[in-house]
Amino acid sequence: MFKLSAALVAAFAVAGLTIAVPAAAQERTVKITGFGAKTGVVRVFGINSEAAMKAAAEEINRTGGVKLGDGATGRLTVEFLDDRCNAEEGISVVRRIASTDAFVAVGPTCSNVAESLFGILQKKAGDASDTGLQFPIIADVAAKGGLAKISEWSFRNVPSEFEMYKALFAWVKTQHPDLKTFYGGVEKDFAHSNATFGVMKAQAEANGYQVLGNTEWLLADTTFSTQIREMKRANADIVAIGAHPASTCGALKEMQRQGVKPKLLIGLTSSSSIETLQGCAAQAEGIIIPTSFAPVTDVAKKAADQVAKFNGSADLHSAAAYEVMFILKQVIEAQKIMAKPDTVAADRVKMRVGLAALKETDGLLGKIGRTPDREAIKPFLFVHAKGGAWTVLHTPAGS
Amino acid sequence: MDLLDLIDLVQSIADGILFGATYAMLGIGFTLIFGVMHKINLSYAAASVGAAYASLLLMTGVSVPAPVVFVFAALCGGAIGLVVYVVCFRFIPRANPLATLMSTVGLLLLIDEVIVHATDGGAKSYPALFSDVIIAAGAFNLRGDLMFVFALGCVSMVVLLLLLYRTRLGLATRAMSQQPLAAQLCGISVDRTNALTFVITGVVGGMAGAMIGAAIGVLSPLLSLPLTVKGLIVTVIGGLGSIPGAIIAGLLVGGFENFFQFFRGVSERDLYVMLLLFVFLVFRPGGLFAPAAGRD
Repeated sequence: MFKLSAALVAAFAVAGLTIAVPAAAQERTVKITGFGAKTGVVRVFGINSEAAMKAAAEEINRTGGVKLGDGATGRLTVEFLDDRCNAEEGISVVRRIASTDAFVAVGPTCSNVAESLFGILQKKAGDASDTGLQFPIIADVAAKGGLAKISEWSFRNVPSEFEMYKALFAWVKTQHPDLKTFYGGVEKDFAHSNATFGVMKAQAEANGYQVLGNTEWLLADTTFSTQIREMKRANADIVAIGAHPASTCGALKEMQRQGVKPKLLIGLTSSSSIETLQGCAAQAEGIIIPTSFAPVTDVAKKAADQVAKFNGSADLHSAAAYEVMFILKQVIEAQKIMAKPDTVAADRVKMRVGLAALKETDGLLGKIGRTPDREAIKPFLFVHAKGGAWTVLHTPAGS
Repeated sequence: MDLLDLIDLVQSIADGILFGATYAMLGIGFTLIFGVMHKINLSYAAASVGAAYASLLLMTGVSVPAPVVFVFAALCGGAIGLVVYVVCFRFIPRANPLATLMSTVGLLLLIDEVIVHATDGGAKSYPALFSDVIIAAGAFNLRGDLMFVFALGCVSMVVLLLLLYRTRLGLATRAMSQQPLAAQLCGISVDRTNALTFVITGVVGGMAGAMIGAAIGVLSPLLSLPLTVKGLIVTVIGGLGSIPGAIIAGLLVGGFENFFQFFRGVSERDLYVMLLLFVFLVFRPGGLFAPAAGRD
């Protein structure tokens, strides 16, 4: 009797193993490579993007992973490489990624890297005369407008700052009809700050505000007294600051010292981060910034918590990286990407085609539209610094 | 230029001169090392910013008054100064000045990256003393915090001068600066004197870093490189090896910086400050207060 039982147990065990072996073979690891700044003064962006990508990968894996082209289940892993916010490094990093089995890369942090990098990609897909790199890249952070049009292999999931500030100034006009004049402060040596300040100024003019001028400082400036004195003399109703957290805080502290109190303060999208609050929460009180992320929906709150578990912070940039992972899952499944070493070239083409075909994707704040030139139309809202935290001030209609 | 412009100009220059006290403190560090070892320590400004950051990190989660943070910055500066000496000077042959120069460049980048990794590159709020005090003098206002920075800079300079001219360490330092071989023959320990000089300049640098943080209100890793350049300009204009020269040049550079900022804007400001450096190098290469050359 004992022998029979043992034989039966052995038989079931063998049968179980026989069934389990093909099941295990149906699961593959799919590595998604991100890249961005993990050293230098914009390191925080890379750290947050990496954390967001890992958090999203964990969530996707937890809910069943990705269905690959042959029916197997893909388990996502994330590798994140450092480009030091340097164009040459960025190109080198992407060439390295393209030499592996990767069929897509997510990044970079800096617009100067994205601009140069997109330039080495094949401009028009399928153009045999163009020997540019045929490798899809989807940007999560690089914010300078219109970069995706450089190549048909480049895609972005970053908000349109033009649309955000257009809506913001129009809203300010309705909410504060008493305000008449506008003055700016801009970080002169940072491309994103300059470009975005140009957008702010244009929108101020478009909404009938009298632009009294602007003052300038540098990203690493040590003194703001002369500049803020110019601001004080202008005595404008609205002051817009086109600068990143470090110099925004330097300028805001000097404004406090000199008693410059505009009726309305507007900031740069990238300053709606924890950094600004760490640097100058009291002085930033009341500053209004448009952003494409705030933990206001259930999925956004959940994403913020998950990113925090990976020692990152969810903001408008890292939230884009989180969303990108779900966009990639959608395209992998729709295009039946195989994620095998021998299908790399075909997978890259499928990924490009799939990303280009997207008309709408799910985002943390709602649906994200896609433009024909591979840019995103993201929902956004206006936040303001209140009591040492960013709180939602207004959600524009349609966002 | 109307009256309002004139008032703004004078105010800008005054602010610049007061902030120039921090440049003077950095210049003193550069010049003291050069005076004693005849070598340039390019990591000095980065170490100063590093000391200010270290004081913040040590005080994380602890609510302490600003002076305590400043004292910690000075202490951290002294410790970092010693590390700089050991890493970049102690074991590198003295006969090869380029080797020590390059090692300090390497350390500058290393310190910068350590700060970036410790803080993720983010700006940190730095405490200040008397930041809400504004002393009105007619149409002009003098910032209390900058006055404090200026006063502390002056006190540091006096203490340093007393240390150099009234103590045995100062005597040894000056002896090393003038006649290293003779100083050794008299029983003065080269390594001990050099190490102590680095600790002392580190303390001054730590205070300079803290004062810069206090005057701006935030610390950023981005500050290291511009401060290194300013420190070097101050040292050259003041005269390599001259402490009074570093003091005067620091204040001058601070004032000139704001003067050019007022007239030419931020895009050209540093251009003119660099031109000032070239003017000195061509017409007065020894700087404002070039010390008398030693017998050797």
